[in-house]
Amino acid sequence: MKKNVVFKMLSLFVIASFVLAACAAPAATEAPAQPQPPAATEAPAMTEAPAATEAPATEAPSAEEVTLRWRTRPDNQEEIDVYSQISTELDAQLDGITLTYEPGGTEGANYQDQLRSEVAAGTAPDVFWIPGTDVADFATRGLILNFSDLATQTDGFSVDNFYPGPMYHLTYNPESDASGADSGALWGLPRDVSTFALYLNLDLIAEAGAPDPRELAKEGKWDWDAFLDVAQKTRALGSDIYGYGASAWWGPYGTWLNAAGGGFFSADRKACALNTAESLQGLEFQRSLYQDYDVATPYGEDPEPPFRAGKVAMFQNGRWATPGVRTVEFNWDVVELPNGPKGTAGNWLFWGAYVINAKTAHPEEAWQLVQALTTAQTQGEVAALGANIPSRVSQEALDAFLTFTPPANNQAFLNGIADAAAPTAEGPLWAGSWPEFDKIMGPAIQGVLTGATSVDDFGTTICDEANKVFNQ
Amino acid sequence: MNTQSYKFRRFLGNLGVYIVLTFFALVMIFPFLYMITTSFKIPSDTFRYPPRLLPRDPAETTVNGYDEPLPLYYVDVDGQQKEYALVQSNIRVGTYAPPENLTATVERYPSEVKPTGGAMNPQSVTIDGKEQKLFDVEVDGQVTPMILVSQTTVGEFIDPQNPEEKVYRNVRLSQPVENVSWHPENYEQVVELNNMSRALTNTALVTILVVVGQLATSIFGGYAFARLKFPGRDTVFVFYLGTIMIPFVMLIVPLYQLMVLIGWTDRLAALIIPWIFTAYGTFLMRQHFITFPKEIEEAALLDGASRFQILKDILVPASVPALATQATFTFLYAWNSFFWPLVIINVGNEKNHVLTLALNVLRGRASDTPNLILAGAAIAIIPPLIVFIFGQRFFVESVAGSGVKG
Amino acid sequence: MNEVISLDVRTNQILLLQSIWRGVFAVLAAAGALAPWLGWVTLDSNWQKLLVSAILLIAAIASGIGALQLTRHRHAGRMISLALDYLAFVACAVIVLNTGEVFIGIDALGETFGRGLPYLGIAVAGYFLGTIEDRFPKRDVSTTTSLKTVSRWIILGGVVLFLWQIDAVNGVLYFLGKLLQPTGLVAVAGTLIFGLSLWSMMRSEVAEALNAKTNHEQIISGWLFLSPNLLGFLIFFAGPLILSFYFSFTDSDAFNPPNWVGLENYARILNVRFAWLSSPTQLAREVVDIKVYDEVGRLALGNGGLLFAAADKFFWLALRNTLTFVLFAMPLSVIPALVLSNVLNSKLPGMKFFRAVYFMPSIAAVVGIALVWQWLYNATIGYINYFITVGIEFWNNLFNLAIIDPKIQWVSDEKTALFAVILIAAWQTMGFNTVLFLAGLQNIPGELYEAATVDGAGPWAKFWGITLPMLAPTTFYVVSTTTIQAMQVFEQVFILMNPPEGPNNSTITLVLYLYRSGFQNFKQGYASAIAWVLFIVIFGLTLVQFQRQRRSSIYES
Repeated sequence: MKKNVVFKMLSLFVIASFVLAACAAPAATEAPAQPQPPAATEAPAMTEAPAATEAPATEAPSAEEVTLRWRTRPDNQEEIDVYSQISTELDAQLDGITLTYEPGGTEGANYQDQLRSEVAAGTAPDVFWIPGTDVADFATRGLILNFSDLATQTDGFSVDNFYPGPMYHLTYNPESDASGADSGALWGLPRDVSTFALYLNLDLIAEAGAPDPRELAKEGKWDWDAFLDVAQKTRALGSDIYGYGASAWWGPYGTWLNAAGGGFFSADRKACALNTAESLQGLEFQRSLYQDYDVATPYGEDPEPPFRAGKVAMFQNGRWATPGVRTVEFNWDVVELPNGPKGTAGNWLFWGAYVINAKTAHPEEAWQLVQALTTAQTQGEVAALGANIPSRVSQEALDAFLTFTPPANNQAFLNGIADAAAPTAEGPLWAGSWPEFDKIMGPAIQGVLTGATSVDDFGTTICDEANKVFNQ
Repeated sequence: MNTQSYKFRRFLGNLGVYIVLTFFALVMIFPFLYMITTSFKIPSDTFRYPPRLLPRDPAETTVNGYDEPLPLYYVDVDGQQKEYALVQSNIRVGTYAPPENLTATVERYPSEVKPTGGAMNPQSVTIDGKEQKLFDVEVDGQVTPMILVSQTTVGEFIDPQNPEEKVYRNVRLSQPVENVSWHPENYEQVVELNNMSRALTNTALVTILVVVGQLATSIFGGYAFARLKFPGRDTVFVFYLGTIMIPFVMLIVPLYQLMVLIGWTDRLAALIIPWIFTAYGTFLMRQHFITFPKEIEEAALLDGASRFQILKDILVPASVPALATQATFTFLYAWNSFFWPLVIINVGNEKNHVLTLALNVLRGRASDTPNLILAGAAIAIIPPLIVFIFGQRFFVESVAGSGVKG
Repeated sequence: MNEVISLDVRTNQILLLQSIWRGVFAVLAAAGALAPWLGWVTLDSNWQKLLVSAILLIAAIASGIGALQLTRHRHAGRMISLALDYLAFVACAVIVLNTGEVFIGIDALGETFGRGLPYLGIAVAGYFLGTIEDRFPKRDVSTTTSLKTVSRWIILGGVVLFLWQIDAVNGVLYFLGKLLQPTGLVAVAGTLIFGLSLWSMMRSEVAEALNAKTNHEQIISGWLFLSPNLLGFLIFFAGPLILSFYFSFTDSDAFNPPNWVGLENYARILNVRFAWLSSPTQLAREVVDIKVYDEVGRLALGNGGLLFAAADKFFWLALRNTLTFVLFAMPLSVIPALVLSNVLNSKLPGMKFFRAVYFMPSIAAVVGIALVWQWLYNATIGYINYFITVGIEFWNNLFNLAIIDPKIQWVSDEKTALFAVILIAAWQTMGFNTVLFLAGLQNIPGELYEAATVDGAGPWAKFWGITLPMLAPTTFYVVSTTTIQAMQVFEQVFILMNPPEGPNNSTITLVLYLYRSGFQNFKQGYASAIAWVLFIVIFGLTLVQFQRQRRSSIYES
């Protein structure tokens, strides 16, 4: 008897599940996140698969209002809230466009890799943000739209309104090797710029009796020696207290290389320069922080948790970390990076850009959205919420930025990108593959900083390997 | 005498067995315990060292004369440990010593000392080639010029019962008074923050459909292989057998392109439909059906029953344990799978995330709040665990059965 | 002859209609086969045209033959008819479901399913209520019957509420609405026509008319029962498998049509160089062409050494890590399992409890587990380092030693990173293996042990002489499944390590590298080649184990 019921249940289930599948379909139309099924736009892969061909045909007429999806890479909930709010505002502003903001994964969750596969599969959002380093890869693979034509038809738009560092790369035309307003290429507009600062735990520094780095910076005495002094004094407070903390990616170690006068690439960005004496000097100093003086949080371990727990005196990170740090319970502020032997801090000018999916069904609306996302007003709002620095070059924008406290010492960020500090603009590799370069450089540097390889060994072999990623 | 020593030896032996078993049991259970207790903590508690299992909140108290409640600390007063309230922190303290004798240090607040010679004409002394400022420090009513050797900060603690009673101690090293308290709101937060409820629903939906679908196709396929004779059957069966060993990763690239082709990328269908046809399950069901006595079936056929009726009325009801075994494996596989969803579902399309994907996003987004990450992990881990606790015997035996047969 | 005469009129009509229908089908299919080439239907690539044409052409020819056979009243005609109609019926049904957006609609079901889930739970509870009576000895017939009735009503109510909660009515309406378009209507019509044709040919009168033998019935039901499984298996398993083999000879990148590159992918993987070094520290560039090869590893031998370089360094690092992983994770999860299972096999009370506890880790999601361990491994605040610190302090105090706390950076130090992953994997699979061993142990006849006891064998002798040999099949099963699992290690590494390659590539594994090649760099052809190499390695390992197992069992007998 009971067996009978088992079977009835089973068959009922199978039937029900199919019916249900159908049933719920109407909800699909209510959900704004479902775009015009992007499958329809990817011509090469199309077959007669009914789903793909029919869906857009039936849904398109009802869509007088164009729906655009856009995405950024938020690092925390605070950032998601900022962009969701922007999305709502712009949605109201832009006629005929409905916006859906979707937060992407974080750096650790392979944001860019996911995007690549989504563009390939035809499910990527219409507009998305990518870090500056990835622009070349996306552009040369044909994943993002060159909208220079749309831009030239737009009144009042000029690429000169943005920081020249990012715009050099965003207008680079790989075919003509040219860059600039009339290069015939425009891959995206910079969302924001950022730079590193040291987030300070003032309580720890005071308890250790160390000098205040902010004072030293004002007096022009904030250099590697002073930095090491503060780091050692705070480290002496206890075995679980660290003087310095930085995450394990190219940004933090790059600053030490830059500050010593070195860098990742040769001046024309067509060869590896990690083995120059200057680069090695910078790396050697950073290695000593980890290995000789033992002042830093273990390399490769995320320093943000211990910093927020009040156990790290100086935490190197960008402006994007500010919303998160605002929740800590100790006294904190920021200071610029210390100057290296060349008298500069070697900071980065970080940037990321809004780009348009090459397969978007609505390039014009997407271009409108990109413009709206980079107006002075929008940038001001984003900056006000703390996550970044406006990418438009204007004194008003910068003055406004200074008022967005805490941290009190916002000037430290601006000093980092000021011409005097000679920051290096983050940038893609047009002559090679940045992701592959990074995959070779990162592990090798980690080997040095964890004491597995010596700086000399690193210097003798690294460029043999890294030079392979450049197109010959 | 002899039996007694034997008994004693056996007792020792058994004790040893239990000790070994308990040790391993602790190793097995500890990560789960850690996950659950940490998921109820507040963030600052999760970063504490040395770590503690139970979630705790810092205790606070209201003191007359202060508007805000003050945090309580254990403070050592006259050799006794007392609960004092922290009133003010970051009070600077300098350690001063006369230049002649740097070991004779005294501690003073910077507000208590004055520059030797006055602010207009400060004096200094050179020690080891370094110029050091001199300060007038009062010791036992006597003013001595001293240099600042080091400085630190302390906090001012008061007795909550007697606010006049003040002591100064290092705040960071003082042990705060804490009460055990659980924070279930972490779960609310993580569900809200990361669309975890939708991911949970999706996972349940995918799992149910995959389990039911797999059972259905395996039953039919297994029956055909076990009981029906038709040309080509054995060839197909050998073919099925040969593919059992092929790992899933072999298929991931072509399957991905297939999904692109039919437009199922970013669809839940991609997590379900390809997974309901399984060679292994069919094989298991075939092995099971083949053990059935043929006579019953033949008798039923003579009575005019159709093959389908035989299957549903006789074979399936008698195979509930075998079906359950397969359902168990499929359930775990579908619930826990990560690689395929990672490849096929958009990271931005949270509506179609399953739990493992939601966790992958969560670990980046909440990287500085382990309590939330572990609450998310608990949401993914606990449902199968509950199922396991209820059907424990059954779970374990079905696994055991699979090994004996294989 | 007799039987033909005794045919009733209706069967005759059916057979006539079927013959005509087969002819029509053949003509339609032939036309369909030509359609893509004559431009009636546009398909994008040649291989799609070829595939469609080939399938339709085969169908047309088969249908023609079927028509002929039917007119001659041969049973083969019926078989061909059934096969063709069935396949066409399934195809049409799938198109109907697809046009009605059933497959895509599962996404939307995710939205409402949660609301319905409790009611589904009620239905399931109702079902269990109905089975209570089967579990206990029968007491009272009237209670049982009423229980059954109640249970049925609960199930019915639960299902209805469930359907209502998930908005089933709207769903069906939406489905029907979607069908009201040319493709949908054609597909529905097709489904009906093919279904009708199938039904008519399944009639026993028709079967008799065509002299069906009893085994024909078995053949038909055999294929019918197997078909859902087989079709899905061909489309989602066998097809992709062949495709994967094909891709491994192409430069497929998921964006553009693949180009045939021959053995290039395999050649790149296997392009390696060994070179003698004149000193252990001699630079790689002095002995190999550094423009092509990267150093993978070196072996110091006296004053010189041996250098191993490869064109694709990452593949060989991944292979090294994967094999290291297997080499440690497999024994670490099998040997303790063997020991524990022997302990658990004693008849002491509480063993079932321990067995359940050991089993727990293997049912938890790897992603969740890896996140938990990530915090346990944390170098500054993690529990594992804390336990080590406490342990060292304890020993130091006890024996007045001065062991230094190593403060291991489990996941960020290249020396320990892979080991950290190994530990998690061993922890997770140990309980599972214990249960398998336990089942094997319980199958060993007790008489063997009794006989050995009589012969005066001690526990050790019994273990080596009886337990291990008798457990050999289980051991083989455990070792080979654990090895196959371990060869595919991916999730632990992907979650635990940041970046997943780990410090200095110390945790890059084959599957991780496959993922990176195929879904980050989009060299999907190359990724397919890696997959096949991985398969060959797994196959080789299993074969070796199988040989050993066979040899040892021959030796036993």
